[in-house]
Amino acid sequence: MTTLQLFMYAGAFILVVGVAATLLVRDLIRRLIALNVASGGVMLLWLALADRGDGEPDPVPQALVLTGIVVMAAVTGIAIVLARRVEQLDDDLEEVEQ
Amino acid sequence: MTVIAFSDVDVLDVLVVAAVAVTAILAIAIPRRVGATIAFLVFGLLLALLWARVAAPDVAIAEAALGGGVAGALLVDALHRRQPAQPKRDHRRAVAITAVGAALGAVTFAALATVLSRLTAEPADLGPLALEAVERSGVSHPITAVLLNFRNLDTLLEIAVVVFAAVGAAALSRDRIRTVTDPGPVRRVIAVIIVPALVLLAAWLLVAGTSEPGGAFQAGAVLGAALIIAHLCGVRAARAAGGRALVLVVAGLLAFILLGGIGLAVTGTWLALDLSWAFAAILSIETLLTVSIGVALAMLFLAAGSRDDAAAADSAAAAPALGGAA
Amino acid sequence: MSAAALVLAPVFLPLAVGALSAVLPRRAAATLTVIAAAATLMVAVLLGIAVLDAGPVRLEVAGWAPPVGILLAADGLSVVMIGLSAIAVLAAALVAAADDHFAGGHAFWPLVGAAAAAVNGVFVARDVFTAFVLLELLTIASVALVALGGARSAAAALRYLFVAVTGSLFFLLAVALTYGHTGTVDLARAAERADDTVIVGAIIALTVVGMAAKTALFPLHSWLPAAHPAAPTAVSALLSALVIKASIVILWRIVEYFGPLTDLAAPLATAVGVAGAAAVLWGGVLALRRDRLKSIIAYSTVAQVGYMVLLVPLVFTASDPQVAWIGGILITLAHGVAKAAMFLAAGALAAAAGTGRLDGLEGTISRMPWTVAAIGLAGVSLAGLPPTLGFVGKWMLVQASLDAGAWWWLALLLGGGLLTFAYTARMLRATFNPPGDFSGARELTRPARTVAIVPLALAALSVVLGLIPWLLIDVLSAAPMGGGA
Repeated sequence: MTTLQLFMYAGAFILVVGVAATLLVRDLIRRLIALNVASGGVMLLWLALADRGDGEPDPVPQALVLTGIVVMAAVTGIAIVLARRVEQLDDDLEEVEQ
Repeated sequence: MTVIAFSDVDVLDVLVVAAVAVTAILAIAIPRRVGATIAFLVFGLLLALLWARVAAPDVAIAEAALGGGVAGALLVDALHRRQPAQPKRDHRRAVAITAVGAALGAVTFAALATVLSRLTAEPADLGPLALEAVERSGVSHPITAVLLNFRNLDTLLEIAVVVFAAVGAAALSRDRIRTVTDPGPVRRVIAVIIVPALVLLAAWLLVAGTSEPGGAFQAGAVLGAALIIAHLCGVRAARAAGGRALVLVVAGLLAFILLGGIGLAVTGTWLALDLSWAFAAILSIETLLTVSIGVALAMLFLAAGSRDDAAAADSAAAAPALGGAA
Repeated sequence: MSAAALVLAPVFLPLAVGALSAVLPRRAAATLTVIAAAATLMVAVLLGIAVLDAGPVRLEVAGWAPPVGILLAADGLSVVMIGLSAIAVLAAALVAAADDHFAGGHAFWPLVGAAAAAVNGVFVARDVFTAFVLLELLTIASVALVALGGARSAAAALRYLFVAVTGSLFFLLAVALTYGHTGTVDLARAAERADDTVIVGAIIALTVVGMAAKTALFPLHSWLPAAHPAAPTAVSALLSALVIKASIVILWRIVEYFGPLTDLAAPLATAVGVAGAAAVLWGGVLALRRDRLKSIIAYSTVAQVGYMVLLVPLVFTASDPQVAWIGGILITLAHGVAKAAMFLAAGALAAAAGTGRLDGLEGTISRMPWTVAAIGLAGVSLAGLPPTLGFVGKWMLVQASLDAGAWWWLALLLGGGLLTFAYTARMLRATFNPPGDFSGARELTRPARTVAIVPLALAALSVVLGLIPWLLIDVLSAAPMGGGA
């Protein structure tokens, strides 16, 4: 197995694990973590592909991954805000019922 | 089935990748939010290490800063709010669902691995083409050249993502962000020592980014962390909320679009940078973007974790500081 | 401005207006948004003229050609979709400006600017990574817009977020495969260099799954009937009419460029067709069973998405794929206009009657006849009855089906139309006066006149376009799908 293959398969593994958890887990924050894990897997794949060969790595995929990381951070931020709203509403409803 | 031989691979790479995979599994499998978030924090730091191994130092810095910040925000949220109890699922159903999920996952992984194995180890010729063009970009660091010149449209759109996420978070957040009134001695020390250090680090990352790993995103992430810590330590001016903060946030995006228009007027193509002023344009826009990104991230994550609590401040201080200093 | 420069105007104009709207008071934001939408429509017309003249209009952003730089191109599809975007945003903005209740709050204005910029960017994108970033921008804006519907819509918005971002990750994987195999993320260059059937097939499959999630194609559709009704009225209109079109266009582009390169295209196309057929039936049947206006209209969208993907198998089996492409695009356009009309009208009705439930709408027709007429007319276009634009598109798809000998698509197209007719009739009947009551005495809070006129104008537009479709068909043929950029 070459280094490229190691990283590619690891990336695929982490992606699958993350997506599976996003779909199957019910806790909102844990799902959000799973989504971020999945994203990390794809980034690993990208960076492995960027570093093929002996010379300097291809800067374009590295720039793309940088962009992807920033985007996921923004998405996670808004997701946290929404998750809080959902769970606060559930809390309020519970109190009313009690 | 062929034996998997690791002859070609560095042991260190195997170890780091294995650690990443293990923390990934922990992060999704641990049922308590606090534990899962801590595992995720470690996952992010190990990823940053891995990015350094794959010769991507810019990405490593960004991962450490942003990943640390995101994990920090999740940790604060998890420490603060009671984890809602999930309705009890029938145990057998839960096992069945996990089994089916695992089976489907395994099939998907096998399919993916098959496709991936058909990719060659030949490097793309895009790399040398891009590297060769760097000398005509106005900066000497290839990643900055790609982000702020060759593919600056992607960067502009990415800034837009951050800006409008902050706008959305500001509109949707229910809790008012209150200024900390009595920070206490510990937090005062943090405010005086750590915050200025982070701001300096951000400035250095920004300027260094034209010729070495660094740039607006990394600097912006560190600045955002500095703002959040400063706010939690009682610095009034660092309250990233409300109209004035929004002005700073949108200013970066508007400036970038304006730069695009200037390129159109001068060279006939949107976002084109004439070589004679490319360096100055890139550095100035990156400075504005750093401020925009920093304030936007602070806004986003303050909205996500907006409550005044001593425990929150200390944990929030620890995590981004870790990430920011990496 | 040269024609090439016009290509990015529909992106930067709404984006700048959106950014300004975040810090300007409501009236200024609304005015700017309306002006920007009108300007975008003019740009679409100018681009259309350029395309009719000389084919696709290309723009190398920042002056760098691919593979180092990003290429954008406006072809026939781009032009008509940007036109749709401008009209949809204009309509939603006018209604939202008339009554803030339909907007959901001040954040509506910046977020709509972002969404409009994102979809317009997708319509001209020929670089798959730029497309990814645009889709993420769209997701952020759309999710936040849904959540403006109140605390209860937060759950639907979050569900939408998870589905959309997971779909994006699948697409990002497809982009990684593209880069890994061909060394570029530019569609045209990648298509030239791709030579592995399995990898190309995987790229198409991953894109289909990712875009299916974002467009709510059966069976990944369940987030839509939760999210679209939960959003404020003007937002629902934009979501159904515009936002889901972005992911459909990306799906079409990947099929356009990569489809001919792999043997796996035919089975994948068939799978997509089957999903589309299921969508038409499932959406239609469920629309018949719902009791709330907005819910019916949302399920109607689920059904219509089936039509939009139906062109994929037809493109591969018909002897003249252009008929299938143009027919599908026209149906998509017609859906956009009609759905916007329906949601805006339904929102107005529900606001006036105090409820969105069908049994609460009795008698509204005599007080708000134009609004009800808009729903009826829009339904006629969605059902594909002549002389609407929906009919023209459907007719072309029917031709393509006959041509390919695929009589089952024919049955689907006609059956789906019957279902549409049925649930539209059900909505209309709910607004009639109770039997024996001709007094029209139902007291309603009448909405502003804009809110009554705009949906009717949109619905009328779908009829008018059906009477002069050759204009659209000419533009679509001047720079056709598969013509390459």
